[in-house]
Amino acid sequence: MTPAMDLSSAPLDTPLTLIEIVGAATSRQRLATLGLREGATFRLLTRTIGGGRIVLVGGSRIALSKDLVRQLRAQAA
Amino acid sequence: MSESTRLREPRTTTPMVPSSASGKACCHTGPQQTAEADAPVVALVGAPNTGKSTLFNALTGSRVTMGNWPGTTVEVSRGVWPPTLASPTCGRENCTCDHNQDPLAITVLDLPGAYSLDAHSPDEQLTRGLLQDGPVDERPDLCVVTVDASRLAHGLYLVAQIRELATRVIVAVTMSDIAAQREVTVDTALLSQALGCQVVATDPRRRTGLHALATAVRAALGDPVPDPRPTPITDDALVLDDDRFTWLSDAAEHATVAPGHDRLTLSDKVDRWVTAPVAGPLLFLAVMWIVFQLTTTVAAPLQDALDRLFSGPVSGWVTSLLTLVHLDGTWVEGLLVNGLVAGVGMLLTFVPLMALMFLLLALLEDSGYLARAAVVTDRLMRTMGLPGRAFLPLIVGFGCNVPAISATRILPDARQRLLTVLLVPFTSCSARLTVFVMLGTVFFRPNAGTAVFGMYVASVALVVLIGLLLRRTLWRTMGAEPLIIDLPAYHVPTLRLTTAVVWQRLRGFLKTASGIIVATVCAVWLLQSIPTTGGQAFGQVPVEDSVYGVVARTIAPAFAPAGFDQWQTASALLVGFVAKEAVISSWAQTYATEQPQPGQAGMLGDHIRAAFEQSSGGHPLPAVLAFMVFLLAYTPCVATLAAQRREVGLRWTIFGVAIQLATAWLLAVAVFQIGRLFW
Repeated sequence: MTPAMDLSSAPLDTPLTLIEIVGAATSRQRLATLGLREGATFRLLTRTIGGGRIVLVGGSRIALSKDLVRQLRAQAA
Repeated sequence: MSESTRLREPRTTTPMVPSSASGKACCHTGPQQTAEADAPVVALVGAPNTGKSTLFNALTGSRVTMGNWPGTTVEVSRGVWPPTLASPTCGRENCTCDHNQDPLAITVLDLPGAYSLDAHSPDEQLTRGLLQDGPVDERPDLCVVTVDASRLAHGLYLVAQIRELATRVIVAVTMSDIAAQREVTVDTALLSQALGCQVVATDPRRRTGLHALATAVRAALGDPVPDPRPTPITDDALVLDDDRFTWLSDAAEHATVAPGHDRLTLSDKVDRWVTAPVAGPLLFLAVMWIVFQLTTTVAAPLQDALDRLFSGPVSGWVTSLLTLVHLDGTWVEGLLVNGLVAGVGMLLTFVPLMALMFLLLALLEDSGYLARAAVVTDRLMRTMGLPGRAFLPLIVGFGCNVPAISATRILPDARQRLLTVLLVPFTSCSARLTVFVMLGTVFFRPNAGTAVFGMYVASVALVVLIGLLLRRTLWRTMGAEPLIIDLPAYHVPTLRLTTAVVWQRLRGFLKTASGIIVATVCAVWLLQSIPTTGGQAFGQVPVEDSVYGVVARTIAPAFAPAGFDQWQTASALLVGFVAKEAVISSWAQTYATEQPQPGQAGMLGDHIRAAFEQSSGGHPLPAVLAFMVFLLAYTPCVATLAAQRREVGLRWTIFGVAIQLATAWLLAVAVFQIGRLFW
């Protein structure tokens, strides 16, 4: 089993599984409605200005800011 | 009750359409431009960027009314879906409809984009209030939920929640072309089976599938309200959510054929540059520069031409007509030429500017770039508690504040929109530039350019400081939510949609702003026409002897601590409240001199210099700087007020004026009092 990491240190263009959302209570529901919930498989597409990431999940492209990226933990799918 | 404050008269939730023997409506007999009061109400709901508003425009054409929803600043469009479009075919093999019966047009509501009914934003609160929390008899008769075929599961959470309510639902699957590019196909029959409601594939951008949707809507309106989807009996939100996600995942999996992994698209490759740390901001600045240039350089000649038309030939024609009826030289001429014609002329000079701004906004929105721009500017704007996309209206404000106020509509959060609307007037518009250049030429030559540039720097500083101040006081509770933006696929904007949106917004502006602008210009003329001394006729009085002159003299002492308490200066500021373009002409009028050519001071410059010398007690430079700061910070023009009132209501507009006047006066006094110690 590969170790869990937060998304700021996760590689781009690699299938990942979301295993935990640390804190971010207000964002949890929004992320879930966009398809990003625990157990979901996704990929990081690119780094954005300010340290954020664009996540590809279920056909959706979602831009996340740096602070949120650090609250999501994933492991290689 | 106005149209924007109610849906329709309460009624039961039994079948809504005129019934044939079969109980289903089908055929149509002719166009109907307006929906009856008891017409069925269909609400279009769906996540942002799923083609909901495009579908609304396709269904209703130009039969649209806009209005802010009561208690919110969220805009809901209401339109009429005429029977020619709403019931194009029967859809039944053996039609039993009464062909002589006129079917009802349908009232369509375009609700703001919402991912769920969980009320995270004012938009979602409105949707929830309308579909779930409001009185049953005021709810729409049917919900059409738009769902993007290229990311089906993403839109189904809202479907899951709406299916738990006692309401009719039809799912409109859009963006099938983008899904096809990604090798994703959706089987609408299987999806319908899994969701337990009708599913129709439609492409509102190309106007396909609309007849199928009309048939489905007519049929569903003829059916009784279906039972809600059964859910676990629990108050635990997590359990309910798990149930919804399981349900929607099963439905999406059941109905979708897709490659094993998400394919990278051209949009993804473009995004790597558009949101990148260096290229992203550079591209954003280039786009903003183009927007700024277009709104100033392209619109300016059109504005000037319209201005010349109204102040020249149109005024001349009116005067000629009055001469024919021997009313020239009377107060009637003053009212018509200096009041009505000048007011309408001023309003119309804004039309090219507003049309251009709305066009650029529609193009940026429709293309998908605006979402990326928000990512690029997010960090900078977040210091003021604003999202990245608030950058755009503030940039536009440096061209003209009026379209900038309207541009705040790109902000999804009502509180952020309000804060931005209050900040826009502090951006230095091009009308203020003409006064800065003139004063710079008179007082600061050869450093006039530096003085003008300094005013732009001061403008940016004011926006940031007032933003921080409001953020830390009145807007303390505004949550600094981390950025989560659902990036839509890039689109080539369609002419029809863009034109419809531009016309809709322009019409809204004219409707709400025209009255206040024309009325204010007429009021100023009236005040300047009423004499305060005997022996002078109404409309034939020098400005200083009019009520207006008396008002200027009355308020002038308030500017003594700022070093400019001459009544002529106060008079220019009063006129500047109507429009900054009129400040120089007001001076010219009160000093009875010719208006100078741009960039030259002329005789007027001598008068103004002498006035500031006298009022400042020998410190004209700090006094004129204080005047320029006051001009920068106080209310831009009456058209801006009209736009603000339209966007945020009268109460917040008055609040904004109070902030502007207080800031302007305090800063002007500070600049003069500190400046006189050195100059």
